[in-house]
Amino acid sequence: MDRSRGINDYEPGPVPSESRVDRYGFIKQNVSNSSAAEGLGKSREARRVRKWRKMIGVGGSDWKHYVRRKPHVVKRRIRKGIPDCLRGLVWQLISGSRDLLLMNPGVYEQLVIYETSASELDIIRDISRTFPTHVFFQQRHGPGQRSLYNVLKAYSVFDRAVGYVQGMGFLAGLLLLYMSEEDAFWLLVALLKGAVHAPMEGLYQVGLPLVQQYLFQFEHLVREHLPKLGEHFNREMINPSMYASQWFITVFSYSFPFPLALRIWDVFLFEGVKIVFKVGLALLKYCHDDLINLSFEKLIHALRNFPEDAMNPDILLPMAYSIK
Amino acid sequence: MAAYRADDDYDYLFKLVLIGDSGVGKSNLLSRFTKNEFNLESKSTIGVEFATRSIRVDDKVVKAQIWDTAGQERYRAITSAYYRGAVGALLVYDVTRHITFENVERWLKELRDHTDSNIVIMLVGNKADLRHLRAVSTEEAKAFAEREKTYFMETSALESLNVENAFTEVLTQIYHVVSRKALEVGDDPAALPKGQTINVGKDDVSALKKIGCCSA
Repeated sequence: MDRSRGINDYEPGPVPSESRVDRYGFIKQNVSNSSAAEGLGKSREARRVRKWRKMIGVGGSDWKHYVRRKPHVVKRRIRKGIPDCLRGLVWQLISGSRDLLLMNPGVYEQLVIYETSASELDIIRDISRTFPTHVFFQQRHGPGQRSLYNVLKAYSVFDRAVGYVQGMGFLAGLLLLYMSEEDAFWLLVALLKGAVHAPMEGLYQVGLPLVQQYLFQFEHLVREHLPKLGEHFNREMINPSMYASQWFITVFSYSFPFPLALRIWDVFLFEGVKIVFKVGLALLKYCHDDLINLSFEKLIHALRNFPEDAMNPDILLPMAYSIK
Repeated sequence: MAAYRADDDYDYLFKLVLIGDSGVGKSNLLSRFTKNEFNLESKSTIGVEFATRSIRVDDKVVKAQIWDTAGQERYRAITSAYYRGAVGALLVYDVTRHITFENVERWLKELRDHTDSNIVIMLVGNKADLRHLRAVSTEEAKAFAEREKTYFMETSALESLNVENAFTEVLTQIYHVVSRKALEVGDDPAALPKGQTINVGKDDVSALKKIGCCSA
């Protein structure tokens, strides 16, 4: 495989060859890549894709009809994970962003080309600090970085009260791996403005009101669902802002393994923010017996470095779904 | 939020905060000091990060619990809670971006609004390795630090320049204040219970600051 040297000579790190990249495009950190999706048999995966294609119809034409007729089937299938090759399309269908795009032709282009944003420098500074280990975003001024910049700038103009806030880049970056700039922009709009579910913009507005609310609620849920651990956290003076802010602000896309983040996003887009709470609780539940014996400093560390088996979507997600 | 319980052995436990504009290198200063690591591919910090390290001052083990905070203004809604109980702060700017130095004043105010007035503050000009891009002169920063009665050092987390010194200096100064204070009241400083927040006495710090800054 050719290495696109040249522009990259400027970068201090070595340019990875294709084989060192996992199926999602991230530079492999170590060779332990037995993610659930990769374990799926080829024929099984093909069968799944066929089922999904039928459900969606050409370009999404049958989707709404299908969801109305069989919402439970859709929910169950999404919880099992959307096939990677259809993910971008399905995300747009379930988030309502498709409709926004169709209702606002030319708007994105206008925002990108003709408007200026007060956040431009802030955005630029964070571009290379967003998914820095993903091939698409690694190349300085490459297509990935440019798209990321455009989407974030467009949003900061579209909603000047929110502007640009650190963390939004991870949302936009994740979306850009599955769809075009314009599609990613409208999906961001759908999420922040609440096209289908509760608007997320409060996560980023001045004072971060929704972050504060979610952290408060999460603390109470921990006490309710895991009383012993809640008590232990209380004794050790651990509060959710020490470990969970990024869970909410980036919907697990900041530091969680990508296969897990994607599966969470599948459900998040269809069912809403509840899944973020549930996954958070499931993580604590899974590690409960370890966490309960740790003191403050080790707790902080453990809450930011969950064991690999806890990060397996096929173990963690069923646990999350079972939390009511 | 004071310093928290720590399980290993130490004589003193001090809570420090790392603050300053986004992208000045706070997280890399922290990882250089606590893990001797520098990450060229670091992500922007969302919320807060935490790390610890113990050093020896005189014959005592001084442990630092350090909170690294997101630099973007909007995040202060979350991060300012972490200033409480801090006895030391590294206020970081980027020597290649003058605006980050100009904003130091606002950070100082923020810090003084949320912490005990006796907090030991070190103004840190990071990225000193980028000599050809320098936009803030040492003299300018030094003068500012003297005016504001803070300590001052230039560092490079990348080249490991002065990072150790900056943290050690802050911890040593806090230690001196605390041990002297303890002696004054006829206490054995080592007898301070573990995990208790060390409140730096008012008079001691002002006395200490007259000694001057820029020990680098």
